[in-house]
Amino acid sequence: MLVDFPHGFYYLSLLGSSFISIFLYRNVDKPFQWLIILMLVTSISEIIAKYLAFELFESNNIVYHFFTPLEFSIYCIIYYFFIRTTKYNTYFILLSASLIIFEIINTIFFQSFSVSNTNTLIIESVFLVTLSLLLFYQLKEEPLYDNLLHEGVFWFNSAILIYYCFNILVWGFHNLRVYELTNPPKLMYDINLILSGFLYLIFLFSICLGYKKFQLHLTNRYV
Amino acid sequence: MSDSTINSGNVIVFVIAGLVVISLLFGFIVFFLISYRQKKKDFVLMQLQKNEIESQKKTVEKTLEELASAQNQLIQSEKMASLGVLIAGISHELQNPLNFVNNFSEINKELIEEAISRLQNKEYEAVVELLQDILDNDARIHSHGKRADSIIKGMLNHSRNNPGEKTLTDINALAEEFLRLSYHGYRARDKQFNSILDVKLDPTIEKIPTIPQDLSRVFLNLFTNACYAVNEKKLNSEPGFKPKITLETINHPNTIEIHIQDNGNGIPEAIISKIFQPFFTTKPTGQGTGLGLSLSYDIIKNTHGGEISVTSKMNEGTTFTIILNKK
Repeated sequence: MLVDFPHGFYYLSLLGSSFISIFLYRNVDKPFQWLIILMLVTSISEIIAKYLAFELFESNNIVYHFFTPLEFSIYCIIYYFFIRTTKYNTYFILLSASLIIFEIINTIFFQSFSVSNTNTLIIESVFLVTLSLLLFYQLKEEPLYDNLLHEGVFWFNSAILIYYCFNILVWGFHNLRVYELTNPPKLMYDINLILSGFLYLIFLFSICLGYKKFQLHLTNRYV
Repeated sequence: MSDSTINSGNVIVFVIAGLVVISLLFGFIVFFLISYRQKKKDFVLMQLQKNEIESQKKTVEKTLEELASAQNQLIQSEKMASLGVLIAGISHELQNPLNFVNNFSEINKELIEEAISRLQNKEYEAVVELLQDILDNDARIHSHGKRADSIIKGMLNHSRNNPGEKTLTDINALAEEFLRLSYHGYRARDKQFNSILDVKLDPTIEKIPTIPQDLSRVFLNLFTNACYAVNEKKLNSEPGFKPKITLETINHPNTIEIHIQDNGNGIPEAIISKIFQPFFTTKPTGQGTGLGLSLSYDIIKNTHGGEISVTSKMNEGTTFTIILNKK
């Protein structure tokens, strides 16, 4: 059950945003469609992790071992559509494949299914921060938009940059145990949950902007 | 130290680190937005300039197309002008044998009438003499007929070769032939015109591979220009002036040198470097396209890989020198 505010805010944001975005699926461009798919996949995996994993397995960490590479692959597809240049195609495939391989090695040798896959989460965050910076660079190189604040791609990319930089910090603290903590501070995870909630709300906001632009494009085409 | 102390210490570090990271990221995004706006302005400006350049490029391309078309038309008119000179020259060359043919056939007619009359008077010895004269005249008619035939055959030989195909050419014969054609062509246009033609041909020159149609255009242009130069001087100088055009060929081991000289007014030093430029002419409007020497330069230099140069002295004359490779 939803016991506290951070968890409540996170689940409500994720499930609410996913539910609303389903109705916009047919009226947005390809990258936003994949973003909706990502949110749905995240919702399903969170439901499994919350309600089914403990029934089926000893720990819900196993869900994240599968979810993290899947999530990153979908992010790669989204970035592929946003960056719109074929010269990075190979890098997207390589990044996606390398994270899957890393996850397999990590699971076998370092962090088993019963343990949180923080190594993979940190690598995924680093990759996503890199992709985010790459997209910012690409946006600046080809400044096609009149006002970036009206563009879903800007909000999506800014959210990714902030959230995954923070993620590196969170999972770095958790993973490295620099202060040899037996119990990492709960506040750290609470902030992360709240930021995750905001991440999905911003995703929904960028999908709405994408929807608005799609409608405008349709109107212009038929006027 | 207890766990709780470590815990609270780490929370502070975490919160400070988190705040620093988030502040830096927000700072980055704000900075990105500002620089994006500037870049967008530059981009729009660049697009406008690009469009302007594109538009200017299209205008220039259109102008170039029009210029190329005008140039083609001028080249055609230059060809037609050369053709006019050529036709006039050929007509004159044919006129001489035809005059002989006509005159001797007239004489023969009279001789035959006289022979008939003498036959009626039974003066057989006189008839035999008259018949001998008729026979001689017939030989002359035949000889001049052959001369006309050879002129036409020569012209046909020049025109029959495939354009751009090199054939072994007798430079002496070609140059001399076109000197006469140009001269008579010029005379056909201006009956007052007269000039001494001084021909010094090197008999050791062998046939060399050239494109005779092209080379004949060069000779036609240079000889016609020489005629024009000497005629201009004659019209504007004292009565004692004797126009003279010289054609000289010299055989070298690997090259053939051709000099075409006139004793006209000469070319001023200020414009001598421009005479091979397209559309440059000193002739009055309508009398020259300014392409003759430019085309000649192109034919000698690019088509034949030879050299063409000019030297001139004011009031003394001009010499064009052509050097053609034997291979």
